[in-house]
Amino acid sequence: MFESAPEWLAPETLTEALALKAEYGEEATIVAGGTFLAILLNQRFLAPQRFLSLRAVPELRGIEANGELRLGAMETHRAVERAPVVLEGWPGLARTFALVASARVRNQATVGGVLADADYASDPPAMLTALEARALVRSRDGEREIPLEELITGHYETSLRGDELIVGVHVPREGRSTYRKFRSRSHEDRPCVGVAAALRGGSLRVVVGAVASRPQWFPEICGLADGEELDAALGSEIAERYAQAVDPLADVRGSADYRRRVIRVEVRRALEDLVQAEAA
Amino acid sequence: MTDPRVTGAVRYAQDVELEGMLEARILRSPFPHARIERVDTSAVPAGIVVLTPGDVADLGMYGAQIKDQTVLACDRARFAGDPVAAVAAATLREADEALALIDVDYEELDSVFDPVEACGQDAPLVHDRHNVSENDAAYFGIRPQQGTNVCHRFRLRQGDVEAGFAEADVVVEETFRTAGAQHAHMEPHASVAQWENGRLEVWTGTQTPFNLRSDLAGVLGIAEDRIRIVCPPMGGAFGAKTFVRLEAIVACLARKAGRPVRAILERNEEWLTLNRHPAEIRVRLGARADGTLLAKEVECWADTGAYADCGPGVAQKMGFAAPGPYRIPHVSVESRCVYTNLPPNGAFRGYGQMQTVWASERAMDILAERLGADPLELRLQNLLQEGDRYATGEELHDVRFAECLETAADAIGWRESRQGKGLCVLMKGMQTPSRAGIAIEASDDGTYTLRCATAEMGQGARRAISLLAAELLEVDVANVRFPDPDTDLVPYDTRTTSSRSTYIMGRALVDAVRDLKENGRRGYGEVEIPGGLDPDTGQGVASHHWHQGAGAAEVRVDEETGKVEVVRLHASVYAGRVVNRPGAELQNEGSMIMGLGTTLFEAVDIADGQVTNANLSDYEIPSFMDVPVALTHDLLERDGADVHGLGETALPPVPPSVGNALASLGLHVTDLPISAEAVLDAVDRRAGLREVPA
Repeated sequence: MFESAPEWLAPETLTEALALKAEYGEEATIVAGGTFLAILLNQRFLAPQRFLSLRAVPELRGIEANGELRLGAMETHRAVERAPVVLEGWPGLARTFALVASARVRNQATVGGVLADADYASDPPAMLTALEARALVRSRDGEREIPLEELITGHYETSLRGDELIVGVHVPREGRSTYRKFRSRSHEDRPCVGVAAALRGGSLRVVVGAVASRPQWFPEICGLADGEELDAALGSEIAERYAQAVDPLADVRGSADYRRRVIRVEVRRALEDLVQAEAA
Repeated sequence: MTDPRVTGAVRYAQDVELEGMLEARILRSPFPHARIERVDTSAVPAGIVVLTPGDVADLGMYGAQIKDQTVLACDRARFAGDPVAAVAAATLREADEALALIDVDYEELDSVFDPVEACGQDAPLVHDRHNVSENDAAYFGIRPQQGTNVCHRFRLRQGDVEAGFAEADVVVEETFRTAGAQHAHMEPHASVAQWENGRLEVWTGTQTPFNLRSDLAGVLGIAEDRIRIVCPPMGGAFGAKTFVRLEAIVACLARKAGRPVRAILERNEEWLTLNRHPAEIRVRLGARADGTLLAKEVECWADTGAYADCGPGVAQKMGFAAPGPYRIPHVSVESRCVYTNLPPNGAFRGYGQMQTVWASERAMDILAERLGADPLELRLQNLLQEGDRYATGEELHDVRFAECLETAADAIGWRESRQGKGLCVLMKGMQTPSRAGIAIEASDDGTYTLRCATAEMGQGARRAISLLAAELLEVDVANVRFPDPDTDLVPYDTRTTSSRSTYIMGRALVDAVRDLKENGRRGYGEVEIPGGLDPDTGQGVASHHWHQGAGAAEVRVDEETGKVEVVRLHASVYAGRVVNRPGAELQNEGSMIMGLGTTLFEAVDIADGQVTNANLSDYEIPSFMDVPVALTHDLLERDGADVHGLGETALPPVPPSVGNALASLGLHVTDLPISAEAVLDAVDRRAGLREVPA
C-alpha cells in the first residue's frame, strides 16, 4: 500500500536539466532554494513523486554586469543583496532583496524561485517589474525573454511552459528607484503593501505588490508623469489613481479597504522618495 | 560552561528513543461540532496499531478542573481538531498514510464560537453535564452552571457597588476584548509511553507531573503508584505543557501495541492543542471629581473552548485580579468560564491577569481623561498601601506598587512629557493554596543531588534552585546535581506554574538543608501555603503573596497607516530578593517581548470554527527587529525581603502601557491585538471623519 519514496533528480548541466524538464514537465517539482517548497511539503499541501533539483547546475549561477545586470536563477537573495556589482549599479534592487524575510531565509531563497513561485506577497517581483527586467527562459527548443509584467499571471501562476526553466533575469541599467515595504505587523512579516517606483529616461513605472494576485502596474496612470515634473500634486494624483485602480485582496495583513488606504499613502511616499533621491 | 541548549546536548522528550518504539499520529475531527457515527478502520493494513473511540469508551474521563474529556472524542467531536482516532506505526510516514485510510462518518451539529453568545438561552450545549474533577488541580470551589455552557462562575463582592456608583461624579463604562494566542514554544508537545509489567512509564514535556499522573490513573483505572512520569527539560512551555495533552493517547496506544509509542506534534497541531483564553471584559468604574475611586463593576467571559482544562482557574484569576491594586470601597466582579466549539484554551504566561489588566488599566486612563487628571497621579492617589485590605478581604504586606509605578514612569520621562506615553500598574496572584517538597541527598564525592519536581522549561528554575542550594550548603554550585524530575523519585509538588517555584521551593529547600545538616545523608523539606477564596463572594486569601509590577511605554504612530512603533518599553517588577540575576533579567525581557506580540500582532484567527492561521507565517510573533531599542526594566529589591516570583509579571503591563500611550494621542483602542488597521480607525474617530465602532 505504501508509495515509494520520491525520486530525486539532480542534473549537473543545463542541457541535462532541460532534458529532464522536457521529459517530466509538471511531473517533477523543481527544487531551487526550497524555502517555499519545504513549507508546502511540511504542511502536506504537496506530496510530489519526483523532485528536480537545480542546485548542481553551474549555468544557473552568476551575477554579472555588462551594461545590463544578469542574475543567475540559482543565485540567492543574500548573494544579490551583497554583490558589489549590484550594490554599485542597482542599489535599489539590492535593497529590495535585503528586505525579504530574515537572513536565514535569504541565504536559501533564489532569484528564479521567487519568480517561478509567483507568490503575491513576495517583494522582488514588484521591484523587478518596475525596473523593466526580463526573465531569461530556456527549454530544449531554445531561449526566450519574458518581460516581468508578462511572467507572473496570477496566484502562483506564470506564463512559463511546462518544458521551460527560468535561467536568469536581465535588468536594464537602474535609473532612480525606490522600494517601500509596508508591513502591518512584525518587521519580519511579508508586506501588506509593497511599492516599487522607478524613473528611467523620463519614464515612470510604479508597481504595487502584495495587494492582488500579481504585481499591479498601470501604464496609463504612470503616463501622467511623462514630460511632467513629479511634484507633490502629481504624486498625490498618481497615488490616488493607483488606490482606485487596484482591486485589493484581504488577508491576515489587512482588509481590502485598509490596503486601498495604504496604497494611496505608500505610492505617494514612494514618489516623494524618488524626488528626494534626485535632489540628493 | 557550555550551555547544553546551545551545543544540542539537551535531550528533550522528543529525543527519547526506546527499543521497538512506534510513532504515533492523530486523526482529528474536521468539524467544530459533530456526532461521530462510525469509525471504520478496515482499510488500515495489519501491523499498524489503531486506537478508536471503541477502545477508550470504557476508560475514565479526565480534566484538571472539570472532568469533561475522554482519551478520544467518543460520542461527539467538540472542536475542529478534536482527536477521533490515533495510529502507531514503525515510521511516521506509515502512520500518516494509515491515518488517511480511516473513514469516519460524522453528523454535523450546531456550534457556538463566541463566549458571550455561548451564554445565551438558545446556544448549543458543548457538554451535557459538568462534573468537577477530583484532581488536586481543582483546588478551589468550582461552580458549574448545569444546563448552560458556563463551567465555572466566580463572584467577588465588596461593599455596595450601586451605592458607590450613585455617589460617583464620573462613571466610565467600556467593553474590552482580548484575542486567543498560541504559546509558540520552540519545542512542540512530545510524549513517549511504555508499559512494563503493568506499570506505565511516560517521558513527556510537562510542567505538571503530579496532576498528570493523577489524571492518567483516573483514565486507566490504576493506582497512581503504577505510573511513573519523567520530565525532560522543555524547549519552552509558557503554560502550554500542563495537565494531560498527548499522554493519555500515547499511553493507550502503547498498551494496545504492547510496545513503546512516541508522539510529537506537528507545528499546526499546536493551535489545536492549547491556546490562551480569548476574553470579553466589561468595566464600569466610578470616582469622585477629586479622583477618589468609589466603585468598580467587572464582568468577564473567558472562552475556554471545547474542554475546560484549567479554564475555571483562569476565569477565577481574571476575576480576583479585576479590581486592581487600588483602594475601591465598592466592588462587584462576575467572571465566567464558558465552553465554545473552539480548540481548548488553558494556562498561558500571565494566566488571566493579562486580560483583566488590559481592561482595567485602559479604563483607568479613560477615567483620567474624563477627570482631566494625570494618569500617574490618579493611580498614585488610589494605590493600595501597606496593611490595606484588598477587595478579597486579605491584608497586604510588603506593598511596593507605588515604587514600581514611579520607577516605570521615570524610565520613560513621564514628568517631562506625557505625549505618546502610557503607564500600567498591576498585581498578579500566585497559586494559593499550594504545596512543595524537596529532598537533598549527599554523596561521598562531596556532591549533592536535589530530588525536586520543578520542571525546567527554559525559565532557569534549575539554575535558580541549584544556586539557592549551593548557597545554603556552602558549596560551589557545580557540586549540586538536579536530575530530571521523576515522580518515582521526587517529593510531591503542586506544579511548575504561577511563577511560584523559586519562591516556594526556595523555602522548602531551607528546611531540607537544615534537615540534612542534622541527619547527615538526606534532608527533606516541605512547605504548604494555605488560603483560597469563597467562589461566591470572592472573600478569603487569593494569593499568599502578590506579584507586583508596573509598565511604561512610549510609541510613535504613523497616522497615515496606523502603524505603531514602540520606541521605549519598561517594566518594573518587585523581586524582593534576586536569586539569579541573569535569569531574572531574561524573564523580564522575555515577558515584555512576548507581551509585545500580544499587544500588536498575535491572534488565533477563526473562521467557521476552523483555525485559519495555524502556522508561524500567518500567525506573527515578534522578531528581534520589533523589540524597542530602549527595552529596560527594574528588579526592585528590599533588604530582608522574601524571594518573589517574576516569571510572568512583566507581560500583562505591556498591552495597557501601549494602549494608554496611544490614548495619550487621542487614539482609543479597546481590543487586542492593536492592529495598524484598528489604529487607523481610531485616527478617523478622533478626527470625527466617520463613525467607526471601537
